[in-house]
Amino acid sequence: MIFEERQIEKNNFSSRAIILFVIIILGLFAVLVQVFTLQISGYNDYQLAALKNKNYTVPVQALRGEIFDRNGKVLIKNEPTFDLITQPNLIDDIDSFLDEIQPVIFLSESDKFQYKKLQKEKAYANKELVLKKDLSAAEIARFNVRSFNFQNAFIAKRYRRISDYPNIFSHVLGYTSRTEDAYKSMPEIPRSHWKDAELVYAHGLIKGRTGLEEIYEDHLRGSYGERVYEINAMGKLVQSLSITKPLKGSDLHTNLDIEAQKSAAKFLGNRRGAVVAIDLDSGGINVLYSSPTYSINQLSNGMNEDDFQILINDPDKPFFNRALKGRYPPASTIKPAIGMYGVSKNIVNWDFEIKDPGFFTLPETGRVFRGWRKGGHGKVNMHKAFLVSSNTYFFSLAYQADIEELSSHLTSLGFGQKVCLDCFDEDQALVPTPEWKYSIMNAGWVKGDTVNLGVGQGYLLVTPMQLANYASLLAKKGAFNEPAIVKQEKVKKSLKIWQDNKFNDSDWNKLHQALLGVIESDYGTARSIRDLKKFQVAGKSGTAELVSLDSKEAYQEVRTSELLRDHSIIIVFGPMPNPKYAVSVVIENGESGGAVAGPVAIEVLKSLINE
Amino acid sequence: MNKQIKKIYFDPYLFFSLFLLSALGLFFLFSASNADVSIVSKQFIYVFAGFVIMILVSQPDPDIFRRNSGFLLIFSLLLLGLTYLFGPEINGAQRWVRIGPFSFQSSELLKLAVPIYLSNFLFNKKLPIQRNEILISLIIIFFCFFIVFRQPDLGTALIIACSGLFVLFLSGLSWSFMGGSFALLILSSPFIWNILLQPFQRQRIATFFNQDSDPFGASWNIIQSKVAIGSGGLFGKGFREGSQTQLNFLPETETDFIFSVIGEEFGFLGVLFLLIIYLFILLRCFYLALNARDRFCRLVIGGLSLTFAANLIINLCMVVGLLPVVGMPLPFISKGGSSLISLFFAFGIIISMSTHKKFLPQ
Repeated sequence: MIFEERQIEKNNFSSRAIILFVIIILGLFAVLVQVFTLQISGYNDYQLAALKNKNYTVPVQALRGEIFDRNGKVLIKNEPTFDLITQPNLIDDIDSFLDEIQPVIFLSESDKFQYKKLQKEKAYANKELVLKKDLSAAEIARFNVRSFNFQNAFIAKRYRRISDYPNIFSHVLGYTSRTEDAYKSMPEIPRSHWKDAELVYAHGLIKGRTGLEEIYEDHLRGSYGERVYEINAMGKLVQSLSITKPLKGSDLHTNLDIEAQKSAAKFLGNRRGAVVAIDLDSGGINVLYSSPTYSINQLSNGMNEDDFQILINDPDKPFFNRALKGRYPPASTIKPAIGMYGVSKNIVNWDFEIKDPGFFTLPETGRVFRGWRKGGHGKVNMHKAFLVSSNTYFFSLAYQADIEELSSHLTSLGFGQKVCLDCFDEDQALVPTPEWKYSIMNAGWVKGDTVNLGVGQGYLLVTPMQLANYASLLAKKGAFNEPAIVKQEKVKKSLKIWQDNKFNDSDWNKLHQALLGVIESDYGTARSIRDLKKFQVAGKSGTAELVSLDSKEAYQEVRTSELLRDHSIIIVFGPMPNPKYAVSVVIENGESGGAVAGPVAIEVLKSLINE
Repeated sequence: MNKQIKKIYFDPYLFFSLFLLSALGLFFLFSASNADVSIVSKQFIYVFAGFVIMILVSQPDPDIFRRNSGFLLIFSLLLLGLTYLFGPEINGAQRWVRIGPFSFQSSELLKLAVPIYLSNFLFNKKLPIQRNEILISLIIIFFCFFIVFRQPDLGTALIIACSGLFVLFLSGLSWSFMGGSFALLILSSPFIWNILLQPFQRQRIATFFNQDSDPFGASWNIIQSKVAIGSGGLFGKGFREGSQTQLNFLPETETDFIFSVIGEEFGFLGVLFLLIIYLFILLRCFYLALNARDRFCRLVIGGLSLTFAANLIINLCMVVGLLPVVGMPLPFISKGGSSLISLFFAFGIIISMSTHKKFLPQ
């Protein structure tokens, strides 16, 4: 009886224990299946997730390419300096750290303030922060002796962007500065990692802002490398795992000529103005100079706020690139273009003569347009009109012109458009048309406007770059390469930029003879520069003596009127008879074209020809 | 009498498998603690003490537990009460009793006391057990559960409740009663959810059902645990080579999530090996329970080994993402003295009960 009951109880217990045991087995099996799902089926995903947790990729900055002149002399280089670099994640107390390092490395209050500010902004994950740039030899020696005291700081080589000619090439080369959007060039590295980028420049992640540095940014920058760090859950860098080295940017070989640019700067002096010179064979720009200038070394490498304000507030506007953005009336330098128009449209030929009384009267209104010389030049044909720069001749020629045709002719010579292949922020200036005048001034085009165009005054505005392009075109008889600062990989055969069936080779030769006479003949308006050189030069000077004109009041509506006075302008090309270079010079408020701008142009030509 | 004193009551299967498990535990703990020798040496002392306790506990005749089961339960509850009143607060919970440099989690004792007391209460009842007996058992279970739950320590409370319910089930609770209770539990779940659970417990459960909801907040632990295990692959990353563990992406590596460390560093094969050891121990306990000398011993061995199994499975399911996160160590592996000592104590009782033959009255 007892035994029987015990047996029942035991069976009951056994069956229940088996049930529970099976449940346990099932539970363990479920765990095993889940572990299998995670480790075998999901391995790739979780493996990636684990790597994503611990791997922290930072960009490694590349050195930028260097920039050279046409003879292979360096214009902008990467110059190493030694900087004191700290590791903020190893510094417990910033203030006491600064106090300790103060006797070794001189720190100004603003250095310290700046450092603390950056330290706060960049938080704990940062591996390095520059405390002081460009240490002196004495500071380096003092630090090295005591370096064992500073486990959280070290001296390392950092580069700066330096030019040996910081002032004369400022506009054309341009400057670099720190950039916040470097991350855009490498989307595979998350934006937040860029604050830990491994730097080679003392100024961090830099980018070209103006000039060639900006235009050729992609070419110069090179490509970032990648360093993979292992980080822990707190975001602290534990160790470096791997590095892909950065690729240095490509060098730029330009057409610029240091000696010619120096001449331009020297002879322009501290006057406001611009010089552009072009190599006629290649279209290469040898000189691109705007005055006054500023130092790109200072601007690229941290200019102090006061110096910067002085530059910004300078009434001469040194940041303004006159060579590419200055809008000037071309004055008499436009006359060759008008002559070409007259011949090609059969309005005049080389034998056609007028009598120049010193002024032109507009038949419709009786309005008088004066020449630059009282009493005029007597009998004038086109050759003489170029030499003595007869306004009356070109007034009367322009009077017969169709403004639409004339505008398109000027445009075909490169005016009113960007002409340079790789210039930074070039201005297209202005070729006026009746539509333009109507839309801007709400007034119709009048004949007097066309007459004014004949002598390069009025609404037509050109840049020194366009003038040099125009001079090149005249020198090469219409066939010419697009101007470029950087040597182009394939120099194209000269393109016929300007062509007209009715303006043939003999017309070109006559034009060249006339422009040669402007400088080389006894009657030429620019004869004062004849003896400055040993070779022959053709050219055309211009002076915007707008005040002496009766139609002065007509221009008062022009917004840029203060720029329209007394600019001294010249375009030249030489040596003749086979010209190699074309130069344009504009000097603001220079007064007399040939005598003021001329010598500058000649000196630049001499440097280019190596005389 | 002399012969009996000389005999050492000992189960080689359990002894060696527990020895292997504890040795592995110290090895894993070394990696999980980032090679912290002081943690590992402290744990070594616990393991050593555990073995001594296990051997000592397995020597006397199991009748001693039966006779003292009431005293054990009352003592455990008193200790718990004292902790509740005077214990230091750690992480918002009062669970600890300090004895010199060592602190002891008083609720651990209840894991032993509840199944032993209930086994004693039920072993000589007529089958099937009557309503009154069920009611008294349930009241005791619920009371113990509630006290620990209020500490708050949901994990231990659940284990205590399980240990009691296992004994109740093994001693012949009727199926209809269980069905009814289960239905009642389902019906009362909104009440449990809203009234009984703490906000952080509710959040853990909510997180479980929507694991991607808050990857840097509530879901962090479970996500990182799965990443650690999953990235271990078949062979694991190697001892001390687990990036999730060594770089602190994985939380609580020394305690609740030590299984994830094993998964990461030793892979699927390591996990399989570990589970085989656990399975072996459970099989051995199951065998011992079926062959125990009387009903009381059967119930106690069954209750204690099932409690151990529940503890194991809840921890495993939690770290692999099959259950919401509840604080529950991996038995014999996780850092911590209290649970380890109480586990060794339990196995001491199991060995004692399976090795002592019934002294039948002549």
